Amino acid sequence: MLTALTKYRHAFLLGLQSNLVYRVNFAVRGFFYMFHLVVVFILWGAVYSGAKDIGGFSFGQTLTYFLVMLVMQFFVGAFNEDYQISEEIRNGLINQFLLKPINYFLYRFSIFVAARLVTGILILLPLLVTLPLLHEYITLPHDFWRIGLVVPAMALSALIQFSIAYCFGMMTFWFLDIQGFVILSMAVESLLGGQMFPLDLLPAGVFRVAQFLPFYYQTYFPVAILTGRIHSLGEVWQGFGIQIAWVILLLGLNQLLWVRGLRRHTAVGG
Amino acid sequence: MTKYLQIWLASARYSVARTMMFRFDFLLWATVELFWMSVNLLLITVIYEHTTSIAGWSKYQMLLLVGTSLLIQRFLMGFFWSSIFEMGRNIRTGYFDYFLAQPGNILFMASTRKIDLDGLINSFVAMGVVAYAAHRLGLHPTLLDLGVYALMIFSGLIIHYGMLVLSISLAFWITSAQGIEGIYFTLSEFSRLPKAAFKGVASVAFVWVLPVVVVSNAPAETLLRGFQPRWALAIFAAALLWVGAAVWVFHRGLRRYSSASS
Repeated sequence: MLTALTKYRHAFLLGLQSNLVYRVNFAVRGFFYMFHLVVVFILWGAVYSGAKDIGGFSFGQTLTYFLVMLVMQFFVGAFNEDYQISEEIRNGLINQFLLKPINYFLYRFSIFVAARLVTGILILLPLLVTLPLLHEYITLPHDFWRIGLVVPAMALSALIQFSIAYCFGMMTFWFLDIQGFVILSMAVESLLGGQMFPLDLLPAGVFRVAQFLPFYYQTYFPVAILTGRIHSLGEVWQGFGIQIAWVILLLGLNQLLWVRGLRRHTAVGG
Repeated sequence: MTKYLQIWLASARYSVARTMMFRFDFLLWATVELFWMSVNLLLITVIYEHTTSIAGWSKYQMLLLVGTSLLIQRFLMGFFWSSIFEMGRNIRTGYFDYFLAQPGNILFMASTRKIDLDGLINSFVAMGVVAYAAHRLGLHPTLLDLGVYALMIFSGLIIHYGMLVLSISLAFWITSAQGIEGIYFTLSEFSRLPKAAFKGVASVAFVWVLPVVVVSNAPAETLLRGFQPRWALAIFAAALLWVGAAVWVFHRGLRRYSSASS
């Protein structure tokens, strides 16, 4: 057990180092997201100029939602893990894992956790700088249980995010180029994951359906817990139940795709 | 000029033949674009479930604006995106040498090499959105208005081309940064907002310094309120300025290009 942990600890440390080295890539992505926040601020500012509250929430609460969503994406979101896995399959780099006592999923997941730790902490820096401008808009509920429950929700969200990315990576066993599928899925995820607008603004029936889809649990669920868009503990427990079910289902799918994919895989060369 | 037209037509023929060979890719990417367009349209639809106005713009006025913005973006995707995106990658990897050896203007050869039919197909969807919104608004634009609208769309395409070439040209300086083409997508988000939503510093930055708001607002205003010389002047001047700036920065960057040869 301890040996296994040591193995993946090394992968984790490797992930930390590599993410600290590619700081420019992070800075570029962080810069885009900051600009996206400006768009959010202008758009929703204009929306609220004609209405006092939208879906029962004030401008401050909506802006807080998007701010927390941004931070959450950097802490739990899968950015290019699907491409990395796809490249490793295409280039035959996974061959080395087939010969060693290393679980490829756990190896990649360790790197993913390290990467999110670095990007999550780094994105807080520009937000801290802009805090004097933003603090008057930030409106968070004061229930302590939200802080306690958001941590496991984030951990499960990270697992869902990574598992979906892993599934797309595995598709390389069947398709030469997965980019189209990934960008298609990004469109669905950005919509049903609550990145475009808070999901509770959807018509009630559509929102109910969205609550049973995995995208809801990718980022929206922990953001909604923290920002008060989920009102009661009962709703949170129900959410956890569905979220755990999706984690189990996706982990199973990951394993299935890995086993089936390897049957199609051909390792060439010495 | 005729020579360049012939080169472009040859590239277009090659792109069509290539699309016919990879039909699944074509369908997949056309669906990808359609999905992203739908996401933007759904955002507007959902917001208007809760309000009747965004900065004084009604639902169908906003749809007309977003449709116009998507139309320009589809043309950019169809005519230039793949070529310019690859340009950035080629600059980073050193494969740009291939274009330096071609007998023609380097920027023209590099930025018009491929045409994506999936983007162009979706431009009909964007036109459909504009036509539907205009119908719901009861608009009856004159031929002059439609002509000016088309000219403004063309100018908008030139501005977007300039913005994209400018951001990709940064690869000459920042070779380690991947994904700088994302600057274009970030900026284009602003073009789906009405000018009235921009106030103070944001108005100066995104309406006057960067032309992202003018690009979509000028043609949309022409359909909504008829031809206004102020908007026409703004978009034509911005097109000249941005394509000029892009060409200048690209050539400055080209001087720094150190090739891939050892």
